[in-house]
Amino acid sequence: MRTGTVYTETIVRAAPERFASEAPYQVIIVSLDGGGRVTARVQGENVAIGDRVLEAEPRAGVPWFRKLTD
Amino acid sequence: MSYGRQVTVIGAGKTPFGSFPDKDLRTLAVEAGRKALANASMGSEAIEAFYLGNFAGPEFVEQNHLAPYISSALGIAGVPSTRFEAACASSGAAFFHAFMAVASGVYDAVMVAGVEKMTSQPTPRVTEILAGAGDCATEVKAGSTFPSLFAMIARRHMYDFGTTREHLAAVAVKNHENGALNPDAQMRKVITLEQAMNGRPIADPLNLYDCSLISDGAAAVILCAAERAREFTDKPVRVLGVAQASDWVGLDQKPDITTFAAVRGAAAKAYEMARLGPKDIDLAEVHDCFTIAEIIALEDLGFVERGRGGFFSFEGGTRRDGPKPVNASGGLKSKGHPVGATGVGQICDLVQQLRCEAGERQVKKHSTGLAQNLGGTGASCVVTILGRD
Repeated sequence: MRTGTVYTETIVRAAPERFASEAPYQVIIVSLDGGGRVTARVQGENVAIGDRVLEAEPRAGVPWFRKLTD
Repeated sequence: MSYGRQVTVIGAGKTPFGSFPDKDLRTLAVEAGRKALANASMGSEAIEAFYLGNFAGPEFVEQNHLAPYISSALGIAGVPSTRFEAACASSGAAFFHAFMAVASGVYDAVMVAGVEKMTSQPTPRVTEILAGAGDCATEVKAGSTFPSLFAMIARRHMYDFGTTREHLAAVAVKNHENGALNPDAQMRKVITLEQAMNGRPIADPLNLYDCSLISDGAAAVILCAAERAREFTDKPVRVLGVAQASDWVGLDQKPDITTFAAVRGAAAKAYEMARLGPKDIDLAEVHDCFTIAEIIALEDLGFVERGRGGFFSFEGGTRRDGPKPVNASGGLKSKGHPVGATGVGQICDLVQQLRCEAGERQVKKHSTGLAQNLGGTGASCVVTILGRD
């Protein structure tokens, strides 16, 4: 599973129609350790810029990450 | 590089921006086009080509093939009529290409119009249609909306440069103050810093007051070869420079999201063409689709140093009586943002200022004006510099 650092994040409170039932939810851009960035959702606790994250199971083709605690 | 003949704007016309349930897309566009023709003292028979900016007519009103649909109704049937789509920079892109055609000598007089009819759809559907200007296979699929993409930009700008929530709010307060003086603005309402700080949360850190409006509206201008302009008007406005640039659509593909490469690219070319620099610009209409976008525009256009846009705004630098008046019209925030009409709408606002016809909103120094029209999260940008002829 990929790891990375949170580059930026937001909590979506006004969601489009098809995500309305999930709001509010966090969307992040992760700078991957292997290079490149990916837009992802967050499993569990919310994250902040600079937090280390580990990839979780993707859902419906969307990458999900969770906070990496040491 | 040669830019061909000199080109002028000889007429400009807009509908008010707002919610107009009894006016369809074509009615709005025709109204703006007729105003532009009247403003130029020109008949429709003199128009040799029609350039239309529109983002999502097919989704918003279920009508495609929009350019001839509108030009015929304007009485300029028979001429080449083409729609340009570049998200919120659609009519800026139409303007750029129309300019090229006149500068090259192909045409002497053309009309550029922009139109969008958005309020016929409920807000969640509008949000979904607008999201189509992002990368649908990645960021949109993950649940991003346009406010949330700009929210992520704002978060990073705050993290990198110390931009604050108050800085964002100051942009909204200033634009509402200007818009309150604009009879054609959608929201003519002064707001306080406290109100702007505490709007309904949309995507953290952005609230309702950080977001531009959902609007219906149209705008049109007539471009004419400078050598023929005075056959029609004694107040032509010269296009000193205009350039368009592009970048990745997906926010996660950009190396740095706190600056827009397409804005810097288009600005550099437009400045070079006009032989002017940021210091020579008296006033600007910039693309404040979100408050953070205005802050970054100030930086990318070279009005302030990188990271200083928020501080400059908070200190009043962009007020009508400040050193660099920005969005004296009220901006997208207060004037309204019918996306396909916005680029040409900005040109109309500048023409009014340069002709000293902006009434209570008139800024003191008005020899040169710059318009910056942005598409998506900076995947398209058109920068135009106008000067008194």
